[in-house]
Amino acid sequence: MGKILMRYALAVFLALALIAVAGAAEDHDPVCIKCHDSEMVKPAFRKIPGEWRQSWHYRNGVACNDCHGGDPVDAAMAMSRERGFVGTPKYREVPEFCGKCHIGILKNYLESGHGKALKASGRGPNCVTCHGSHGIQKANIDIINEQRCSQCHSYERARTMKQALFTTERKIQDIEHALKKLSSQGIYTAEEVKALFRTEAEFRTLFHTVDVSLVKEKTDDFVRLLDILQNKVDSLFVELRSRRNFWVVLMLLFAGAGIVVYLLAKTYR
Amino acid sequence: MWKNIKNWIEVRIGLDELVRTQFTGYLVPKNINVFYTLGFVALAGFVAQILTGFLLLAYYVPHPDHAFKSVQNIMVNVPYGWLFRLMHVVGSNLIVIAVGFHLLSVFFMNSYKKPRELTWFAGASMLLITLTFCLSGYLLPWSQLSYWATTIVTNIPSALPYVGNIAVTCLQGGQSVSGVTLGRFFALHVVVLPALFLVLVSTHLFLIRRIGISSPPLGREGEKKPWTAFHHDSHPGGYPFFPHFVLKETFMVMAFFALMFFIIAFAPALFLPEDTNVPADPYKTPEHIKPEWYFLAPYQMLKLVPNKLMGVSLQIVMVTLFLLWPFLDVKKEDNMLKRRALFAFFVTAIIGWVVLTIWGKYS
Repeated sequence: MGKILMRYALAVFLALALIAVAGAAEDHDPVCIKCHDSEMVKPAFRKIPGEWRQSWHYRNGVACNDCHGGDPVDAAMAMSRERGFVGTPKYREVPEFCGKCHIGILKNYLESGHGKALKASGRGPNCVTCHGSHGIQKANIDIINEQRCSQCHSYERARTMKQALFTTERKIQDIEHALKKLSSQGIYTAEEVKALFRTEAEFRTLFHTVDVSLVKEKTDDFVRLLDILQNKVDSLFVELRSRRNFWVVLMLLFAGAGIVVYLLAKTYR
Repeated sequence: MWKNIKNWIEVRIGLDELVRTQFTGYLVPKNINVFYTLGFVALAGFVAQILTGFLLLAYYVPHPDHAFKSVQNIMVNVPYGWLFRLMHVVGSNLIVIAVGFHLLSVFFMNSYKKPRELTWFAGASMLLITLTFCLSGYLLPWSQLSYWATTIVTNIPSALPYVGNIAVTCLQGGQSVSGVTLGRFFALHVVVLPALFLVLVSTHLFLIRRIGISSPPLGREGEKKPWTAFHHDSHPGGYPFFPHFVLKETFMVMAFFALMFFIIAFAPALFLPEDTNVPADPYKTPEHIKPEWYFLAPYQMLKLVPNKLMGVSLQIVMVTLFLLWPFLDVKKEDNMLKRRALFAFFVTAIIGWVVLTIWGKYS
């Protein structure tokens, strides 16, 4: 009896172990999260996984090791310098840290008043000042606001620039929304999405120059590019409408034929 | 002129007699209802699938590098390509519904009973073929959704001991879904399955015509005679197949296509969610992968059974029971309303299927 019970207990244990292994195999998060989610790290570090999971980086597959280096699968070597771990950058080094990926923006930022101030005094705003770090969200024009900018200088220049950017930013959002709608209706929009992404990325680098006259000058070029995209999107909507009309005609034809057949069948009864 | 042509044919094939024996003189029961037309509706749907499928075949490229692009090309550049593709996609889903309802009505009316066991077997096999058609066709656009849904489905046999891994390798043509899988599924979809389907549908129609249409138990006049020797189940005093029943069938076919065009016009994304618009990426697993709606119930059942082998075995047993049901149900009574246990099973099975489908969708 005891032996049988032992066998059952072993079977249950093995089954649970298998489930646990299967569960672990499905976990795609880097090993960093396991420690940062536990009491092994100080409280301030524990909120990082939660912020990251809500971030734009997380949604686009950017993990801890993509910025901080290290080994995302081997816990023992996760923070090894040999595996490229760089840890947290110093305040002054943040632009280069982010600029590993955001190359164009880094160049414009370093040439801007913000970048020059940081390099000269070590006290100018860096990327994190405006965008935050682990909980970073998709950038939008509202990052430029009085509360944030007036921490260091008057808001007047920033307001003028925001006004210059406003129409273009709204146009980008409208086209983005329209492309999503087209995609949900079965139209493949990858080319248009890429073109919009390119334009948007170039437009974003323009923000970082903090040069009002340059922004005003370049805005016309962006508007022209966006107008081309808008026309393409509009023509796709026209095409969709004409397709829908065609389907409705076919539907009415078949429904009408059905009614005729039904009435004919009634006469035979 | 017309008379001469008719006469020319009449002399050679005896057209008048053919029409008399096969259509106007072929009688169907007076109490036959609209559910009896669903088989014909499904057949009409299959004909539309063959025609639209043939046009898609002219532009589709079964290669991982070109499959997705070729489907987009059909949707955007090929004149009326969108028409044929959407008809093919929505049509396939509506056929599953038509075949499903057809089998449910046959089950409810106990029309599978002696001498129609083989007719049921051929029909039930056709449902399985239809689902295999859907499964194989689903991969062909090589979208993110189709790639990962196929990955899940083709890995299900791995739960079986000894033959499981061999079955998975046979299905996938390797260790994962790849271009080889696409080639295999394409061949299955356009050559093997149509040939099998043709054999089964011919057998099914032959058996129906040879034995005769069954009489619905509800509203039947007089008692049903026991079947002791083969004879054609004629229905003296019934309605002629043509025009009465043919008109009923035509009405239902029109309703089928009107519904198809309604869905395409007003809910084009119903059977084509957004992930079908993203090219397959073997390195990026989507967050929520769900099979098509008709596989949601078995999918949820597999998730509920804690042991994968037990879950797969249970489904194999259920499919076997479904195919061989007429040989297991030997009771003579064919009025479902007089068989409480069977009626309760029928209702419970339908409710269970619906609940599992909804559960699978939102779990």
